[in-house]
Amino acid sequence: MFKYASDMDNGRKISRREFLGVTKTATIGGIIAAGIAGGAAGYLARMPEIKEVTKTVTITPPPAKLMPTKVGYVYVGPVGDYGWSYGHDRGRKWADERFKNIESSYIESVPEPEVTPAIESLVAKGCELIITTSFGFMDATAEAAEKYPDKYFVHISGYRSGAAGNASQNMSAAFAEFYQLYYLCGLAAGAVTQTGVIGYVGAYPIPEVVRHINAYVLGAQYAYKKRTGKNIKAHVTWLFSWVAPEQARLAASALIDEKNCDVLNYTEDTPAVLMVAEEYQKKNMKVWSFSHYSDMREYGPTAHLTGPVANWGPIYLDFYRMVATKTWQSVDIWARVGDYMPWRWKQLVEKSTAGKEEGTVYLAPINPVIPDDYVSLIKKRYEEMKEYLFEPFTVEGHDPDGKEPIRDQDGNVRIGFGERADRNALWSMDWLVEYIEEPLPK
Amino acid sequence: MFKLERHTDISRKTSGLIVFLSLLLAFFVTGIIFYLLNVDVIQFYLIICNVFITPALLLQVVFRSIPIILASLGLVVAFRMGFWNIGAEGQIYMGMIAATGMVILHVFYGAIPASLMLVVMGAVSFLAGGAWCLVPASLKVRLGVNEVLTTLMLNYIAMLLVDYLVYGPWRDPEGWGFALSIPFPDYATLTFGGHPSMAGIIISIAVATLVYVLFKYTKLGFMLSVLGKSGEVAKYAGIPVGRVTLLGSLISGGIAGLGGLYVVSGMIGRLRPRISPGYGYTAIIVAMLAQLNPWLILPAGIFFGGLLTAGDALQSSLRLPFSVITVFQSIIFLCIILAEFFRRYRVVLKR
Repeated sequence: MFKYASDMDNGRKISRREFLGVTKTATIGGIIAAGIAGGAAGYLARMPEIKEVTKTVTITPPPAKLMPTKVGYVYVGPVGDYGWSYGHDRGRKWADERFKNIESSYIESVPEPEVTPAIESLVAKGCELIITTSFGFMDATAEAAEKYPDKYFVHISGYRSGAAGNASQNMSAAFAEFYQLYYLCGLAAGAVTQTGVIGYVGAYPIPEVVRHINAYVLGAQYAYKKRTGKNIKAHVTWLFSWVAPEQARLAASALIDEKNCDVLNYTEDTPAVLMVAEEYQKKNMKVWSFSHYSDMREYGPTAHLTGPVANWGPIYLDFYRMVATKTWQSVDIWARVGDYMPWRWKQLVEKSTAGKEEGTVYLAPINPVIPDDYVSLIKKRYEEMKEYLFEPFTVEGHDPDGKEPIRDQDGNVRIGFGERADRNALWSMDWLVEYIEEPLPK
Repeated sequence: MFKLERHTDISRKTSGLIVFLSLLLAFFVTGIIFYLLNVDVIQFYLIICNVFITPALLLQVVFRSIPIILASLGLVVAFRMGFWNIGAEGQIYMGMIAATGMVILHVFYGAIPASLMLVVMGAVSFLAGGAWCLVPASLKVRLGVNEVLTTLMLNYIAMLLVDYLVYGPWRDPEGWGFALSIPFPDYATLTFGGHPSMAGIIISIAVATLVYVLFKYTKLGFMLSVLGKSGEVAKYAGIPVGRVTLLGSLISGGIAGLGGLYVVSGMIGRLRPRISPGYGYTAIIVAMLAQLNPWLILPAGIFFGGLLTAGDALQSSLRLPFSVITVFQSIIFLCIILAEFFRRYRVVLKR
């Protein structure tokens, strides 16, 4: 039994410090007990693994030229986040499976200022190809590329590469782009909305997210106007975070309850918004949502309409090949529908692959609750997108009658007749289409 | 029966020994846990030790420990005067904002001569960090508001202020709309001998010396110490408690602000939102581990930076998840608390 000498001597009440002392004693006791219990459990759990195996193995030394190519990945989050870093790790495994002579490793949860040491440690490990998968890693990757001219670097979601002329030739840039798929989600939204009001929970007001929102709202306008002759209304809430499931839940509920939205799309790395929609479905309210980055149907079997999905694997496999065969060329890859697909040409609607896994960006399975006419429309557009026969940021993508140009919130015409948004316009988009109620934070 | 007796006086040597033993215990406990998880423990220890003896790795260790070290040195001043500053994180962000502001003033308005840039950036980020810490200090002095809450809450405000600036007025016009400031020009980049770590370590040693001198030789340092021991005594001794608190917190926040300068000017070269992975919070553990001794902050901070660097190697070589380092850090933290207990009490066997 522990007693406090000082208490006995002075006979005063227990002060805060003594109280903390007691708490600490209890804590330490707890830790030790837990340690012993944990240790015992661990030991017991380990027991069955000890067994003797006798095997005859014929050893054939691999020829020297087949030394594996070492590849290192730097992730911004933990691979278990079910979002961005998880998606990249899935891509890594996909590519590793197909390219046997690769030895890949990764460093996860790397904070932005500390990416240089992470890259250095991969270089020290002998990695020939280093792939950094967060926008904030761009400058450090370019510096490392400068410093190690005999290594190869790929940066995801940035704008610096040898091809672009703002980094050395051993650096490439790559991204899996979603605006076309968000447009198709918009078609689905316009086809099912009863209130005529749709919502979007956005991560950050950067061009990537802005063009996804615009594409989604344009698609919804097209389908809704075609269906009812009326204009769509859209609301956007910003989270200022890529991963914020709790805030996303609150934002989604507010969009449904206060703004009367019944189809929600989002850029947030968890299935939180889809789960909110599913809860409303359970309460017999028709609220719909989508997958994001991976097939999330299990989180909202009823509420799930479709959604943009990415497989980074083909992009990584491409770079593996370049490095292993010494045929490197600095490139800026912007993978869209059709890219890396085995058959990248338009097919008949009946044979459409919309909703099936292919290439780097594709649609999650399409919910049959969407009226047949619109499922066909989604499929038709998806097929046309493969050959760039159809682009969302056009008058034809905006207005079913082909009459209205695309206007921003101030009423300025942004895309007129016969025009298409080119890569630069998409890449630096800083305006929202007229149907969105909230202004863009600047 | 066991009895706990309070130490009235404990020599610095014993106290240091207790902390050292607690660190050994942390290594040992971690080893046991990882052994049970089938990790190659020898390899695990070797990787950690390797980080501290390989010069190239050591340079990386220093690279990432500087913001922690500077923030800790700031906390030493605050904690010694009994001001529980949890706001080093926010003060770091304010330092970043001030440094970036100077770069923008220079590049767009030609306000400051290039040769003076680093000096001005240093002074302004010190003042910005200090001013951020003055807010809770004056609230405490004037209204008696608890500083733990106010310093903590100001962290989030500083973070949001950075968000506002990089998404708004300070967004790089050539950055394709991404949230980032313009890149810092060469003369606004903190390096010495081609490496930011060297500049960082020089600044850290200078600041540690100043903090040491402050408490050892100056009247202000003495008044801060008295204030830390007892506010009542300080008042009876005729120390201007309010003014001393304000001055002490200005220094404390200012030093953390220098950490912010190092992050944007030495580590990243731009201002970006939410870039600190919690340097200001890790600094609290480091300050505790070093027992508020400015000289010990340097090895303690480098030790924590070393754990992070070892984490990279552990992931790529042993294929352990990042959580391994979090587990290790937590065990160290628990052992430090344990050491704190044994520093205060002595176990006596009594019949």
